[in-house]
Amino acid sequence: MRIVVFVKPVPEAETRLRPTADGTRLDTDGVKWVLSGYDESAVEQALLLKEANAGSEVRAVTFGPTPRSEEVLRACLALGCTSAGLVEIAAGEEPDIRQTVRALQHAAGRWPADLYLLGQQSLDTEEGLLPVALAAALGLPGANGAVELSFDSASGVLSFERASEQGIEEWRLPSPSVIGLKQAKNDPRSAKLQNILKSRKMPIDRIPSSELPTVTEPGGAVRPLRFDLPPPRTGAKLIEYTSPEEAAEKLVRTLREEARVFP
Amino acid sequence: MSRSVVLLAEAGPQGLHAASREAIGVARLLAGDEPVVAAIFAGASEAATTALSTAGVDRVVCLDSPPLAERRGAACAYALAELAREHEAGILLLGGTPFGRELAGGLAVFWDALSATQVTEVTRAAEVLTVRRPVFGGRASELLELAGPRIVLALRPNSFGGTPLGSRNARIEVHAPPSIPPPLLGGARARVRPAESTTGPDLGTAAIVVAGGRGFKSPENFHLLEELASSLGAAAGASRAVTDAGWRPGSYQVGQTGRSVSPQLYVAVGISGAIQHLTGMMSSRVIVAINSDAQAPIFRISDYGIAGDLFTIVPALTKEIRRVRAR
Ligand SMILES: Cc1cc2nc3c(=O)[nH]c(=O)nc-3n(C[C@H](O)[C@H](O)[C@H](O)COP(=O)(O)OP(=O)(O)OC[C@H]3O[C@@H](n4cnc5c(N)ncnc54)[C@H](O)[C@@H]3O)c2cc1C
Ligand SMILES: Nc1ncnc2c1ncn2[C@@H]1O[C@H](COP(=O)(O)O)[C@@H](O)[C@H]1O
Repeated sequence: MRIVVFVKPVPEAETRLRPTADGTRLDTDGVKWVLSGYDESAVEQALLLKEANAGSEVRAVTFGPTPRSEEVLRACLALGCTSAGLVEIAAGEEPDIRQTVRALQHAAGRWPADLYLLGQQSLDTEEGLLPVALAAALGLPGANGAVELSFDSASGVLSFERASEQGIEEWRLPSPSVIGLKQAKNDPRSAKLQNILKSRKMPIDRIPSSELPTVTEPGGAVRPLRFDLPPPRTGAKLIEYTSPEEAAEKLVRTLREEARVFP
Repeated sequence: MSRSVVLLAEAGPQGLHAASREAIGVARLLAGDEPVVAAIFAGASEAATTALSTAGVDRVVCLDSPPLAERRGAACAYALAELAREHEAGILLLGGTPFGRELAGGLAVFWDALSATQVTEVTRAAEVLTVRRPVFGGRASELLELAGPRIVLALRPNSFGGTPLGSRNARIEVHAPPSIPPPLLGGARARVRPAESTTGPDLGTAAIVVAGGRGFKSPENFHLLEELASSLGAAAGASRAVTDAGWRPGSYQVGQTGRSVSPQLYVAVGISGAIQHLTGMMSSRVIVAINSDAQAPIFRISDYGIAGDLFTIVPALTKEIRRVRAR
């Protein structure tokens, strides 16, 4: 089975968020980049499928600037991915989702697979757009929010479940398909030291940005205006009380009269 | 963009989805004098379709084709894109449901549109929309300008609740949608079974969420949380400590690897406030914490707190809310 797993570097969870001097975007100076949480699960799931299907290959692919993209690709190699692909972004460019879809589509053309696996959403921008957008672009069946993903090598059928407004849906899709993963069957593994060292010497296949189809944008553009931090939460106003009844009475009154959250 | 606004309406057994009502309100706001067209997919009940026709839209179009009833993102997006073209729409609005977000991606491609999901604010000036959306689990937000002839937005639940709906009587038209490219329809939805239910409304879109953590000590005590939730008409949720221990099913989990919620009111009971939990609930409007440890991190991001023993506070609170509500 051939799997391509798309991953995206995001700032690590503990990053102190702050806007750039002009206030328009996140200041990424000094940020440590890690695999996005759902992408960690996608990599884990890809490795589980590889282990269950002898002779499988898992290629991790990212579209992004160096060096952060190389770092997360090496992390994927250290975890057990068999190869890595980097679609390069010209320095300073901030692609929108349509450019990202095109880049991933191009990569899928270069590295055909039975399963294109993505995270259900990025942990930074939280769009959740790409899995179905990529399915649309490739003209393949696709779904987002998958759990309990498995593959039957005899029939080539991918099975998974997902929750929707209608209940728990059980799906069977043919390969190739595009799937956005919510949760792998295991918690993501961590890399062994010897594999981390080995991954530093492994090659990363590259698609230079010049190779991507250039597009004129009749559809207009998205421009970031501001990156805002919420007013700092100053900490909870603690209710003072002498009995649980008093605490309850005061909280309910505050929520109705001050916070106005329920009638 | 002086053209119509198309929105997707969703309905369940309880009728028209609250997220779709929000979308109608926003559509009206953005449309000005231009028409608002609501699309609804095959499989919605007649009652829901009728409710939609009087909910403030100008036209209702049922996209009636069995494959669409399976709710495949790419196939449904294809059909919606065709509809948007037919109506020369400039804006396509999706409610804050997982399905809505899924469609947004397909529409960006099939309709060649600019897109944004999880939108909490939107204003329009001619061809330009300015939207705000939370990022990093509500730890920050971005303000974006979308300037183009076709824009698709998926809204964040509970962000536009107060928007008034007009009352109109819309025509209901049944459309046989375009023939969908067969590859998009490969495979099948084999079965749908009811989710192991959380109590009350859907966790992802509820206006009030009450979530419990390891502080409840054992599954036998968790009913205290559910009673509190039911007194508030809230959805019950949980930290991963609770779902991992099997006290409640995974569908209860709030956080980075669970549901992401943004209710008007979030009550965290016996939850310490780990970053992975906060990532799923930080953009709630008002946050209340109940925890016996006054130093628990959850208090730092809460608006109100009770430092105390949940086993005495929670029953007292449930009783007080029932008393107030009964008046
Ligand atoms: C990759 C990854 C993903 C994760 N994803 C999620 C996620 O999606 N959602 C999530 O929730 N967690 C997630 N976690 C786990 C997270 O890190 C925490 O372990 C978890 O949220 C802790 O749950 P808790 O607050 O219920 O338990 P604890 O941290 O044990 O806190 C229990 C709290 O209850 C209080 N308490 C105890 N007794 C009482 C009492 N009698 N009255 C009042 N208060 C009391 C204590 O003071 C304490 O603050 C994830 C972790 C990892 C590594
Ligand atoms: N630049 C990128 N390169 C590779 N994969 C990406 C990129 N951006 C997003 N993805 C994938 O798409 C998923 C959903 O992203 P998003 O739609 O941005 O929330 C992520 O979890 C990744 O798997």
